[in-house]
Amino acid sequence: MDVTSEQDKLVETTEDIKNGKDVQKGKYMTFKSGNEYYGLEIQYVIEIIQLQAITVIPETDDYIKGIINLRGKVIPVIDVRLRFKQESFEYNDRTCIIVINVKSTVVGLIVESIAEVVEIKEENILPPPKIGRTEKVQNKYVYGIGKVGDSVKLLLDPDKLLNDVELSVIEQVNELNDEEE
Amino acid sequence: MAEEFNTEGMLDIYLFENQQLLEQLQEIVLEQKDADCFDEDSINEIFRTMHTIKGSSGIMMFDNITAVSHKLEDVFYYLRESNPDNVPHVKLVEHVLEVEDFISNELEKIRNGDTPDGDSTKIIAKLDKFLDEIKKGPAEKDSDSIPENVHEEPKQFYIAPVATSASRFFKIYITFFPETEMANVHAYKTVYALKEIAEDLLYSPENIISDETSSDIILQEGFRLLLQAQSTEEEIRELIGVGYDIKQVDIYECKAEEFLRGFDFVEINEAQIDLDSTVEDIESRKQEAQQEEGEEAENEKKPEKKPESKPIAPGDFVIKSREPGKQKKLARDKAKEKTSFISVSVSKMDQLMELIGELVISESVVLQNPDLKVPGLNLNNFNKAAVQMSKISTDLQNVIMSMRMVPLTNTFQKMNRIVFDVSRKLGKDIELRMIGEQTEVDKNIIEHISDPLMHLVRNSVDHGIESAEERIDSGKPEKGKVILSARTEAGKVWISVEDDGKGLDREKILAKARSQGLLDENKPEEAYTDKEVYQLITLPGFSTNEQVTEYSGRGVGMDVVVQNIQSIGGTLDIESTPGVGSIMSLKIPLTLAIIDGIVMETGTSSFVMETGVIKQFVRVREDMMIHEPNGDEYVMIRGECYPVIRLGDWYGLKNYQTDVENGIMIILEVEDKKICLFVDKLVGEQEIVVKPIPSYIKKVKGLSGCTQLGDGSIALILDPGGLID
Repeated sequence: MDVTSEQDKLVETTEDIKNGKDVQKGKYMTFKSGNEYYGLEIQYVIEIIQLQAITVIPETDDYIKGIINLRGKVIPVIDVRLRFKQESFEYNDRTCIIVINVKSTVVGLIVESIAEVVEIKEENILPPPKIGRTEKVQNKYVYGIGKVGDSVKLLLDPDKLLNDVELSVIEQVNELNDEEE
Repeated sequence: MAEEFNTEGMLDIYLFENQQLLEQLQEIVLEQKDADCFDEDSINEIFRTMHTIKGSSGIMMFDNITAVSHKLEDVFYYLRESNPDNVPHVKLVEHVLEVEDFISNELEKIRNGDTPDGDSTKIIAKLDKFLDEIKKGPAEKDSDSIPENVHEEPKQFYIAPVATSASRFFKIYITFFPETEMANVHAYKTVYALKEIAEDLLYSPENIISDETSSDIILQEGFRLLLQAQSTEEEIRELIGVGYDIKQVDIYECKAEEFLRGFDFVEINEAQIDLDSTVEDIESRKQEAQQEEGEEAENEKKPEKKPESKPIAPGDFVIKSREPGKQKKLARDKAKEKTSFISVSVSKMDQLMELIGELVISESVVLQNPDLKVPGLNLNNFNKAAVQMSKISTDLQNVIMSMRMVPLTNTFQKMNRIVFDVSRKLGKDIELRMIGEQTEVDKNIIEHISDPLMHLVRNSVDHGIESAEERIDSGKPEKGKVILSARTEAGKVWISVEDDGKGLDREKILAKARSQGLLDENKPEEAYTDKEVYQLITLPGFSTNEQVTEYSGRGVGMDVVVQNIQSIGGTLDIESTPGVGSIMSLKIPLTLAIIDGIVMETGTSSFVMETGVIKQFVRVREDMMIHEPNGDEYVMIRGECYPVIRLGDWYGLKNYQTDVENGIMIILEVEDKKICLFVDKLVGEQEIVVKPIPSYIKKVKGLSGCTQLGDGSIALILDPGGLID
């Protein structure tokens, strides 16, 4: 019996791989920012790199720290703590950059430290509490709360993380300008 | 099933080839637009071009293109055969250009994924009328026969013919078992196999790939091919092979003339061909074929007897025109091109360009590596190797740059067309001279200058050149002249549009500017230099022509020109002498991708500025500074006063030099405006590869991009235009 179920599982995974979908589903990259642990669906994550020299771009929002050179590709980096309107922190050797790709925008997220990759089943994901002491600002990036054992991870919506409503307007303008050029 | 063959690839090739054909066509036509008539070569060339377009459009089933090109082909066929001397040449040129425009438009639609639905009937009617007109002299009765024949002419698949004396001609007849499925696919397989040896290959039904019903036709009537090759019958049989689906393959050798008659001939014989015939029968078939040749020869004689009076039947001449001798030249040219050119997609070129950019940077990362700066290292061998490597990478860079270079010929050719169109519409007689059209410019740049140049040329023809009467009155030759010239100088391309028209009218411009409220109220009009006045016409909403014409005068011309030119880092210079003419000169960079830059530092940030705009570096003393109460600063350098921008202030940077005596002033000049930029220190000069700032970060004024420095860090590229505004 065991063998068959093993095989079933194997068949399932290979089929998943064949279909090119959802092998990554339910897996979350978690990281620590402030006292909380956050989770990002792993399909968005390209790679994790060490903190490197950041070129500051003047006249941008404070959470956009600047641009980095990722093997010849120039990508913007944002500070997650500042993005959540939390206090800034000193960068140290545990500080990492998670490079994510959201709708083909590649952005680096500066986080205090990487935790682990966890699997969270759908039934363990709760909608964020509407009332309570959770800060409103933070709430809009968090689309669910995942339970892993005793701890909880705040699951982030990467699209909202990168783009405020007002920011996306600016982006559109930028895109327009780019097209004109 | 037909979709299994990738018709998309065919479509791309179709579009690409026909675009090129049209460009060639336009070139030929415009070259001879001022002559009294087309010479024989051109007529043949236009005829052939139209024929090819017609053929390929027929295969792709773009019926309107087929119909129009067919009609023009008719016209040129008539010109070629009858050499009428009463052809209104200019009208003919217009007709050809009209057809070319129509087809271009349709191709554009196809390229955008739309259906080519342009109405061809109008143009066809016009061409018919034209054809009638020129025919009236020699043969009046022809006109009726033309429309009838329009769709009878067989569409033929056409594969580059190479005729040599060793060529043999074959008729091949393939029958499939009636139960065969997808006979069209099998037929295509055969065609594909034969292409290897074919010098020329025709087959019927011709649309086996795109039309699934052809499968039934093939089953019922068999699949017929006409093959010109140097192979023997056995070799052909081997190539076709005998699959389980092919019932019978009949191959007959025939003569060239017969071959050229195409399928008409085969069709006549169809009844005679016995589906059950065996290989042994072929011998007797051959005899039959020879007999038929005899008949054929007789048939051929008839039209020869009275070529003048014979109604022109488009169905015939297509085949007649394909005499092996005539095609020879064309085919050879094509083969030559194939060996010396390949077309590469632009995205691949861009990728290569990017990679070479990376290579150049990583080269400097290695060569300027801090590890090498340890004192006491013996680097002799390293340095030798490094020099060698730098040489190669410089060469590599030059090669890729030259690969991206495209001559301006095509762009200039387009202007020729515009001058022709506009001058005819306006009733002005204008000659366009082109100088240095071979000048090469980066492909990216060509795309950007085509529109501005068009505006300038239109302006010259429309506003610059006077009407014929005015010209005679002022003692100028009646024929106006526009000179389009290009040259490279000091890493820039200079393109100028010069006309011998009336020149710019200072008073008119000033009056207009006044009424538009474009003048500085505190400045007397006399204080404007000529140059300043002329620059006024580049302001948005300015147009001096009293009458808005079809071609210019909406007041959107010049400011768009200037904007477009500025966006690629170029400038527009206007010179004019009243009554003598004006010269509009564009100065544009040769390339956008790699530029020479000066690297500088302010605070902890590095910036790069394009070398071209930097006039001087100056150290200044505090007593040279002038401070305004509102915080603005100026600096007096050798009697000239420049406004000062402190880069650190401008961007709110930290820890930058505030004492002018410790930093350095950079004098920048953009379009006659000069400013001083104050930075902490200069780092050096470097070739930089321009990269865009990620679009996620909103646009910052004064920054045009970023680049990687020798140490791998990123510097921001300053846009002098943005700083000066």
